[in-house]
Amino acid sequence: MKPVRIVQCADSVEGILTAVYDAWAMKYGHEFIKLQVIGMEESVNYELFSEYVLVEPNTDKADKVARSIQKKISNQVYGLVVKAALSNDPRKADAIYHFLVRGFLIGKGVVDHLSDPYVQQIFEMNRFVGNETHFFKGFLRFVELKNGILLGKMEPKSNILELLTPHFADRFAGENFMIVDMKRGIAAIHEKNREWFMTAFDEDQMEALAVYDEQENEYSVLWKAFFKSVAIKERENQDLQRNQVHIRYRKYMTEFEK
Amino acid sequence: MEEKLSILSDAAKYDVACTSSGVDRKGKEGSIGSAFQSGICHTFTADGRCVSLLKILFTNECIFDCKYCINRSSNDVKRTTFTPDEVCNLTIEFYRRNYIEGLFLSSGILHSPNYTMDLIYQTLKKLRCEYHFNGYIHCKAIPGADPELIELAGWYADRMSVNLELPTADGLKHLAPHKSRKNILNPIRQIQSGIEESQEVLGMSGGNKGAYWHTRRKLEGKSIEQKRQEDAARYHLAKNNTNGVQGKEKQLTLDSSGILKKADMQKQDLQTTDMHGLNTHRSDMQKSRIILPGEGEESSLIQSSTTGLSCLSQFAGSRGFVPAGQSTQMIIGATPETDFELISVTEALYQKFDLKRVFYSAFIRVNDDSALPVIPGGPPLLREHRLYQADWLLRYYGFMAGELLTKERPNFNVYLDPKCNWALGHLEEFPVEINKADYYTLLRVPGIGPKSASRIVKARKMANLNFTDLKKLGVVLKRALYFITCDGRMMYPTKIEENYITRQLLNLNETLPKHITNGEMTYEQMSLFQIPNFSGAQSSSIVS
Repeated sequence: MKPVRIVQCADSVEGILTAVYDAWAMKYGHEFIKLQVIGMEESVNYELFSEYVLVEPNTDKADKVARSIQKKISNQVYGLVVKAALSNDPRKADAIYHFLVRGFLIGKGVVDHLSDPYVQQIFEMNRFVGNETHFFKGFLRFVELKNGILLGKMEPKSNILELLTPHFADRFAGENFMIVDMKRGIAAIHEKNREWFMTAFDEDQMEALAVYDEQENEYSVLWKAFFKSVAIKERENQDLQRNQVHIRYRKYMTEFEK
Repeated sequence: MEEKLSILSDAAKYDVACTSSGVDRKGKEGSIGSAFQSGICHTFTADGRCVSLLKILFTNECIFDCKYCINRSSNDVKRTTFTPDEVCNLTIEFYRRNYIEGLFLSSGILHSPNYTMDLIYQTLKKLRCEYHFNGYIHCKAIPGADPELIELAGWYADRMSVNLELPTADGLKHLAPHKSRKNILNPIRQIQSGIEESQEVLGMSGGNKGAYWHTRRKLEGKSIEQKRQEDAARYHLAKNNTNGVQGKEKQLTLDSSGILKKADMQKQDLQTTDMHGLNTHRSDMQKSRIILPGEGEESSLIQSSTTGLSCLSQFAGSRGFVPAGQSTQMIIGATPETDFELISVTEALYQKFDLKRVFYSAFIRVNDDSALPVIPGGPPLLREHRLYQADWLLRYYGFMAGELLTKERPNFNVYLDPKCNWALGHLEEFPVEINKADYYTLLRVPGIGPKSASRIVKARKMANLNFTDLKKLGVVLKRALYFITCDGRMMYPTKIEENYITRQLLNLNETLPKHITNGEMTYEQMSLFQIPNFSGAQSSSIVS
């Protein structure tokens, strides 16, 4: 029996699409190919009887794959692939590869093959990433810094910063704000009435920045008072509250601060 | 300020609606804010309810003495009032920190309904024009206020609501002596026709067409265009004819001629039942003296607003008039109305008043008043839950109120969700073949919802589905298995027999949110009693 070939790649849209390109070009037989994101290996132990191939991200190759998906399958499928690539599901690279194998065979109708396991995984990851993005539209909290900049910190499971920021850029077009993904060390910066951009961001920069405005405390106190008084005692239900706003989201939420 | 905010938000919390949905609006240059079609929850309180809007009263002073209300004039509570600037400033600063999606402004009645409505209007105007707030605003229309003031507020709000409070006129008279059918229904009708007109003239999107309307439209096999034409015709008739009965006849001829010729037999059947349904409901309501107007009564009760929107030209090009539609709320369990009355009123509100949502609020006894019932298990939260489930069946599943309950069987069985309850009473319609049945037939199967039904319809085009596939598509098989076949076979050999399936379904221990059982009623406890026979005419309702 032929050994399974494991193609390893970096955790980014570009990294995964490059791996798709290289794996395809190997003509090794799709069923013997497995994609894996470095740092997201399902088991720490190397699998016996498997070959490992490491793929470096390559913009040209990734672009080619992106363009063929859009041209030969559909924009919808491309959107599904990108969102899945942003999830924190360890199966994502492999699911994307095999989803695309089917996509290039069937065409845009691949999205209706809901009983196919890879199609299901892609939809599952999309739901998770989409939901998490939606949660953070509500759960993200900003604090006002001394210089008037609004600072929002978060630690989402999926890499949603790029999906989330357009919402706030539209809503707060006239504000200077930044959203920081503390886990990944990246930030989206929005300057008043300008286009926003993403950049790397580390702890030291954070410390230099985080001087809160004096009035800040006043509003957080008011908000906490409001949050407390709108709850109806006769209906109290912490379980339901926990289901609705998971503990992991509460870290930076003003009303849950101790 | 902190105390004021605590008092005025504490007093507003019994209003259950906190949705920020119904309108999509992009950010605007020079303004702060946007609105998102499906709404956004910003946090959840200790009772598990969503917080989306800064929900406050402008004042808790009140000249009314509604017996169920914490702010009734005869109560000795601390009274306080915001200024318009305080409300605006709080809204903006909370909004900038992404605490909230917008403002929900309600109020006690200070001095007079007009005085209060004017305060609300002035505050909204200030928030929109001086503070440049482009986010979501929900405000109350104060019963008894002048239509002009209500209209002005409507040009600045996204959603307006007038609370029906109690589903019967008697109940209202009994518990809210200062409110009347007339001054509750008039603003609802006024807002409805205002939205209709604004939509027609300004071509604004969204509007007052809720999920109920879309579901009916699809069920009747009409295109959006057809349904809109019909509605426009209905609106014009209502406008030109103060005589409701005559208008109705015209509408009937319009329906059976012209537009619907193409509809096949089944659809026509459906439509006639629809009509009859409406008529029987109306006469039922008259008998049970439900709060909504019965046949021929409408014109005398509600002044049809022939004048229409008076400020249309002034506000053309703005957000439109109440673009996110209107909602209302009813208190559950303060008066002896049945579930059938409640969902019939709900249905009529969707059909005749184009409401977006009807909310239910389990009665909480905040005042010690002999006119108010004492409910031993606390607020009837399980009953409220069942009503919300039924409301979903009306809006998304295409059920009619008369299918779910009847006068002979007027209350839900609290142990079963309303859909299981319905299915058990209609076993002759089952089993349903998964690989053939249409979308709306699938939707009627317990354990299949809108998402799984549409996934089934899509996926089966590619391959015939089996039970393993269904599980993956999100069907709750432990409930559905009694009602479906895949390629002619059931999952297990099983009797299609009411008592048997009922017993099986009851043993499933439906995962109810813990709070609504009040920690007292569980299914285990129930097995101590005899399993009730649900085919009997009287299904007993524990909570009524």
